Amino acid sequence: MALFGRRFWQRNAEGEKRSDMSSATQESVLAALGTVQDPELHKDIVTLGMVKDLAVAGGKVSLTVELTTPACPLKDQIKADVERALAPLGVTELALEFGAQVRGSKAGAGTTDLLPSVKNIVLVASGKGGVGKSTVAANLAVALQRHGASVGLLDADIYGPSVPILMGVNEEPGKVEVDDGYKLAPPVAHGVPVMSIGFFLERDQAVIWRGPMLGKALQQLMSDVHWGELDYLVVDMPPGTGDVQITFSQQLKCSGAVLVATPQDVALADVVRAKSMFDKVHIPIVGMVENMSYFVCDGCGKQHEIFSRGGAQRAADSFGVPFLGEIPMVSAIREWGDKGVPILAQEPDSPTGKAFLEAAARLAGQLSVASEAAEGAPGLKIVTT
Amino acid sequence: MAVPVEINHVKAQGIIRITWDDGYSCEYTKEYLRGYCPCALCQGHTAAVEKRFVEVPNVELDVIEPVGNYAIGFRWSDGHVTGIYTFDYLRSLCPRGECEKS
Repeated sequence: MALFGRRFWQRNAEGEKRSDMSSATQESVLAALGTVQDPELHKDIVTLGMVKDLAVAGGKVSLTVELTTPACPLKDQIKADVERALAPLGVTELALEFGAQVRGSKAGAGTTDLLPSVKNIVLVASGKGGVGKSTVAANLAVALQRHGASVGLLDADIYGPSVPILMGVNEEPGKVEVDDGYKLAPPVAHGVPVMSIGFFLERDQAVIWRGPMLGKALQQLMSDVHWGELDYLVVDMPPGTGDVQITFSQQLKCSGAVLVATPQDVALADVVRAKSMFDKVHIPIVGMVENMSYFVCDGCGKQHEIFSRGGAQRAADSFGVPFLGEIPMVSAIREWGDKGVPILAQEPDSPTGKAFLEAAARLAGQLSVASEAAEGAPGLKIVTT
Repeated sequence: MAVPVEINHVKAQGIIRITWDDGYSCEYTKEYLRGYCPCALCQGHTAAVEKRFVEVPNVELDVIEPVGNYAIGFRWSDGHVTGIYTFDYLRSLCPRGECEKS
């Protein structure tokens, strides 16, 4: 239970004395809370239905603010705003707890939903290969899980399924009995259930499939896997704008895409193409991540901006999409990745670990914004008259 | 980019009426929509500027299905199902023409 700090107590010491005369009632507290805005959703927390378990007795108030994501980066601000709003009411004791109920953000006209038990589906994509998309996807998934959400990781990179290596998964998926037969049970690594097309391929064999074959395999990967209830499913996409992207855009209700880019011009040119593809299939870009932003010399600590830094931020600004963060280029990412441990799981307090945690929090915030928009969207009605 | 909010198949009149989120509405006859099917079978594999019309008299529309977030699929009585009509394409097909300008 989070009680107010000492300073609040001092400020209200006088109020405490006359707690019997406190003007706080259920109504007045609710009215005051109605002035507290969610900083991301730009609506007040009462209208958003975030105020739960409100109890007012004399000058004592207790409530839970149910955030739209456990990864909310703005808890402190909301807490301060609640304190400020309730101060004039003579509240002497405030018990404020935070809960979280992740909301779904699957937008758009589509009515087919292969994964109804998943609230948010995020495609991690890039215009070109080699930008560290799988590393970013794996670490974002683990970061969201560390923030307290239930997260799954789906590796759809058929040409180079690297998630099993990065997450250290050696076992094959199991079987789980469901209502009408069996489904695949994804192995769990670092707290995250993982499914990869790589589990079904023979070692060292290439995938040489044309579109229809691919579509079939991907559909199975989506519908025949028992994910259970998930707040977020992070999908590691293959690079580019091909068959896999088309299949996902047609078969899944996606919340949005995260574009991963390295900052040099030639890489950004391809990101524009990826952006344009997602625009065409009406999947919103929920953020951009700049990977390999800079290299920190382990000898002198100097930051070397090998691929020039800030390019993805500029691209995000020009697209009008949120920028989620810069991931530095450090050998630890590679070393731990090769051992099957996402760097975040190993070094959460390192600058790289923190960068991933912050990027994941910003992503979760963007998805909360998207869920708010999805709720207000009219949807598509198909009728025959 | 406009997005449809309602697709009404008015069977008695043989028309499909699409209402868009900007308030505009378009009406297409079933033969017209079938005729301008965007699939490669109907339009060819080239990125043709000109839209080809495939005449299928008295064709019936059996099923309307959304495709992802961006398109609509129609199942026609002649067994044809391969056309994926993106919202933008449907809007550009509007017989009233002003749609394109608005």
